[in-house]
Amino acid sequence: MSGWLVVGQAALVLLGGGIVGLFYRGVDRKIAARMQARIGPPLRQPFLDLGKLLVKETVIPKTAVAWLFSAMPFLAVIASFTALLYLPWGPFGPVLEGHGDAILVLYLLAVPALAMALGGFASGSPLGVVGAQRELVMLVSYEFPLAVVLVALAWRLSTLGLGPAFSLGVLAQNPLWGAVGPLGILGLAILLVSLLVVTPAELAKIPFDIPEAETEIAGGLFVEYSGTYLALFYLADAVRTVVMAGLVVALFVPYGIAGPLGLRGAAAQVVDLLFWLLKVFFVMVLAVTTVRVGMARLKVDQIARGFWWRITALALGGLLLLVLDKVVMA
Amino acid sequence: MTEREPRDPNDPVLPAVEEVREAELRGVEAGLGEVFEVPIGPIHPAMKEPIRLTFRVRGERIVGVEIRTGFAHRGIEFMGMRQGRNLIQVLYLSERICGICSVSHPIAFTQAVERAAGIEVPPRAQYIRVIISELERIHSHLLWAGVAAHELGFDTLLHLTWRVREKVLDILEELTGNRIDYAIPIFGGVRRDITPEQYPKVWEAIRYYRGLLEQLLDAFLRDPTVEARTRGVGVLEPKEAEELCAVGPTARASGLRKDVRQDRPYLAYPDFEVKAITPADYGLTPIGDVYDKIVVRLLEVGQSLDIIEKALMNMPEGEITSFPKIPALLAYLKKAEGEGLGWHEAPRGEVIHYVRLVSGDESLLVWKVKAPTYSNLLSWYPMFEDQEIADIPIIAACIDPCICCMDRVYVVRDGREETWTKEQLLKLSWEKTRRLRR
Amino acid sequence: MRAEQVLRALTASLGEKLRSYELRPLEVGVRQKRTVEEIWAEVAREAIPQAVAVLKGLGPLHISIISGHDAGETIELLYHLAVGFGTEGGEVMVTLRTFLPKSDPTVPSICGILPGAETTEREKIEFLGVDFPGIPRRDHVFLPDDLPVHPWRRDEPELEKFLHRMVEWEKGHDRKGTEGS
Repeated sequence: MSGWLVVGQAALVLLGGGIVGLFYRGVDRKIAARMQARIGPPLRQPFLDLGKLLVKETVIPKTAVAWLFSAMPFLAVIASFTALLYLPWGPFGPVLEGHGDAILVLYLLAVPALAMALGGFASGSPLGVVGAQRELVMLVSYEFPLAVVLVALAWRLSTLGLGPAFSLGVLAQNPLWGAVGPLGILGLAILLVSLLVVTPAELAKIPFDIPEAETEIAGGLFVEYSGTYLALFYLADAVRTVVMAGLVVALFVPYGIAGPLGLRGAAAQVVDLLFWLLKVFFVMVLAVTTVRVGMARLKVDQIARGFWWRITALALGGLLLLVLDKVVMA
Repeated sequence: MTEREPRDPNDPVLPAVEEVREAELRGVEAGLGEVFEVPIGPIHPAMKEPIRLTFRVRGERIVGVEIRTGFAHRGIEFMGMRQGRNLIQVLYLSERICGICSVSHPIAFTQAVERAAGIEVPPRAQYIRVIISELERIHSHLLWAGVAAHELGFDTLLHLTWRVREKVLDILEELTGNRIDYAIPIFGGVRRDITPEQYPKVWEAIRYYRGLLEQLLDAFLRDPTVEARTRGVGVLEPKEAEELCAVGPTARASGLRKDVRQDRPYLAYPDFEVKAITPADYGLTPIGDVYDKIVVRLLEVGQSLDIIEKALMNMPEGEITSFPKIPALLAYLKKAEGEGLGWHEAPRGEVIHYVRLVSGDESLLVWKVKAPTYSNLLSWYPMFEDQEIADIPIIAACIDPCICCMDRVYVVRDGREETWTKEQLLKLSWEKTRRLRR
Repeated sequence: MRAEQVLRALTASLGEKLRSYELRPLEVGVRQKRTVEEIWAEVAREAIPQAVAVLKGLGPLHISIISGHDAGETIELLYHLAVGFGTEGGEVMVTLRTFLPKSDPTVPSICGILPGAETTEREKIEFLGVDFPGIPRRDHVFLPDDLPVHPWRRDEPELEKFLHRMVEWEKGHDRKGTEGS
C-alpha cells in the first residue's frame, strides 16, 4: 500500500468520523427529545453548536496553568481521532492495520478522559477540580471491566489460531459467536452486556455524567472552558461516541449483509458500510440514548462500587465461561 | 455510606461556627485530608434563584456550610409601609412577593387586614379562596417534583411532570385569567366568582389528576435510581425539625404533624377536616430524607384534589365580597384601626403576615411578611451535615426553597423569543385565555 | 391545648412581668364552626426568654416571626409564637409584645431555648438595630454587610440620603436593557 493512499484513506476516515459523530449526536438529541415528549433541536444542531463555539472568544482563567489548560483539548481531539484510524469501518479494515492493536485503542479511549481530568485540574476552579477527581475515579472504575472484555475475546480468538488476536481487524473478521460452544455463547452474551454498561460510562453520559454534572458542579471539568477549546472537547466527545459504538460492533456484531444479499464489488462495499453505520447507530441508541433518558444521575461512590463489584464480576464471569468453553471444546 | 449518624440528643441542633472549624482542624491533623471551599451560587445551574452556599469540603464529603442570602432583597415591606401606598396597592405588592405562591401571600395579607379592620368575608368567597389556593398547591408541588428530578439528572421525569402540570395552570387561567398572579383575594372577599359553566372543566382536571397520581407516585417512588439518590440523603430528624421551627412538607417529612390548615384553621378550612400528611400515611416510617419529602408532596397533591372536590360540591351561594365598590372599601380601611395576624399554609409551609392600621392613614403602619423558606432556612444546616457534593442540589431543592419569596423580590420572566414584543405577547396570552374559556 | 391553659402557665410563672394580656378568639369555618384562640400579651423585655421557656414547656413550640416597629421613643417587638401543633385546632397563637427603649435597644436572645429563632433575630439586628445578647451568629441575613443604615428605623437621618442616592444611581444607569423592549 502506498503512503499516499494511506494518507488519503486516513483523511477520509477522520473527516467521515467527525461528520458521523456530530450527526449521530444530533440524532441522539432528537430521539431523546421525542422520548421526553419534546420537539428537540434540528439534526444539524451539533454542527451549528460547533461552529458557534469556534467563533466565540476563548478565555483562559488567570488561576489556570495556561499551557496545560490549552494543551488538553488538543490532546483529547488527537487521541479520539487517532482511535478512528484503528477502527474497522464495516467492509474496510482499519487504516493503520498492523501498526498497533486493540490494546492501543483502549489507551486511546482513556487518553481523552485523562486529558479532560488534567484540564479540570489545571483550570484552577474548585468545581473543575471536583469534576477531575470524579473523572479519575470513573476511569479506574470502568477501565478494568473494559479490559477484561477485550482480553477475553482476544484470548479466545488466539486459541483458535487465526492470526494476531489483538488486532481489531482480525477480531472483526472472525466473529466468535459461531466458533464457540453454548457455554461460550453465554459467556459472550455476558461480556456484551458488560461492554454495553461500560459504554455510557466511557462517554460520561447519564447516569454516569458525574464529571460534568450540570446541576451539581455546573459542568465540572468544562466549567472554565470556552470557545475553541470547548468546541474541541465537544468534537472529541462526538468522535469518541462513534469509536466506542464501533468497538462494540467490531467485537460482537461485525457481520455484513452484502454477502447474504448476494452483492459483489463496489455495491457490496457501499451496502456493508451503510449497514455498519446502522449498527453503530443502533448500539448508540441502545447504550446511550435510552439509558440517559431513563435514569437519574448516580453518585460517584455508587458508580465506583457498582463497577468494581457488579460489572467487573460480570465481565470476569464471562471470561470464566469462555475459558470453560475452551476446556469443554478441546 | 451516605447516611449520617443519628444525633446525640444532648447535642445542640446547630453547632457553633467555632466548633465546626475546630472539628475540621482536628480532621486535618488526623490525616483525613485538607478541606477546601466549594462555592455554590449566587448564580448556579442547580439554583433557580440567587443564594450563596459556601461548602467546606473534604474530598466529596461536606464538613461545613455557610449560607448567605439577600441577593434578591427588594425591601417589599419597606415599600408597603413607608412609601405612602394605600392598601389596595400593597395588595398588589403582596401578590408579587412570590411568583409560585402568588395567592398564598395575598390570602395571608387580606386575612391580617380583615382581622385588623374587622371585615367579614362571605362564605362563598372563603370557598373560592380555598379552591384557588389548593389548585396553586397542586401546581407548586408538581413544579417542585420536576425540579427535583432535574437536580437528580433525571430530565425525562422533569418533562413528564411539567407537561402534566400544564393542566392545572390552564384551569387557573380559566378561573382567574392568569397562569400566575391570580389577583383573586381582595379585602372582604374575592374579585372573581367561579361560575357554574366553569365547574365541568375543574371536574375534568380533577379526574385527570386522579388518574395520573398513581403513575406519578410510581415514576418517582419506585424508580431504583431515584431511590438510590434520595434514600438517606438530607436527613432532618424530628427533633431538629421541631427545634429549628421547620414548616410545611419539610417538617411533615420528618414525621411532625404540623400543618396550619389543621392546627389553627382559617377561612373555610374547618369544613374540610384537613389532616397533616406524613410519610406514615404511605406506609413508611418517616426518617426525614429527600425521599420522604417527595412522598409528602405527591400525597398532598391528592389531598388538594379531595379538598377541591369537597369545596365544589358544597359551594355556598351568595355574595363574593362584602365591598363591591373599591372606593367604599378604601374609605372604610382609612378609618380602620387595629392590628392583626393572617396565616396560610402555602405549598411550602406557613406564611404569616402581621399588619397594623392606624385611623386616618390609608397606608400601613407596620407590615411583616414571613415566607415558608424563611423558617426552613436553618434546617439546611443539619441536612447538609456529612453529605456528599453530589447531594447538594437535591438537598438544597428539597425544602422547595423560594429564595425570592424569602428575600421578597419579584422575578420578571421575559417572552419566548426576543422578536416578540410585549404587546404581541400580551395579545397572545389574551387569545389563549379566550380559547380556554370557549 | 386551650388558651386558658397557656395563659395560666404564663401568669403563674411571670407574675408582675406579664404587664397585660388579651384573648382574641376568632370564629372560622363556614359549615363547621370552630374557634381559634389567640393570646396577645405584653411582657417586660428581660422576661422574654422566661416566657418562651414556659411556652416551650407546654408543648411543641414554633416561632413564626418577630415583627418589629419603631414607635418613636421605643422599639416595639412582637414575638409571634405558636404552641402545641400536631392536633386539629390544637394550636394557640401567642404574641408576646415588648418595648425596648431606644437608648438601650437590647433584649436577651431566645436562640438558646428555640434555635429556630436565629434567622428572625438576625433580621431584626440589621433592620431595626436591636441587639440580642447571646445570639450565636449576628452577620446580616438580607442586607449588604456594609449597609450604613437600619432601614426600619424612622429616625434614621442617613436613610433619606441613602434612598436618594439609590434613586440617583438607578437614574444614572442605562435601563434600556432591563425594560422588555
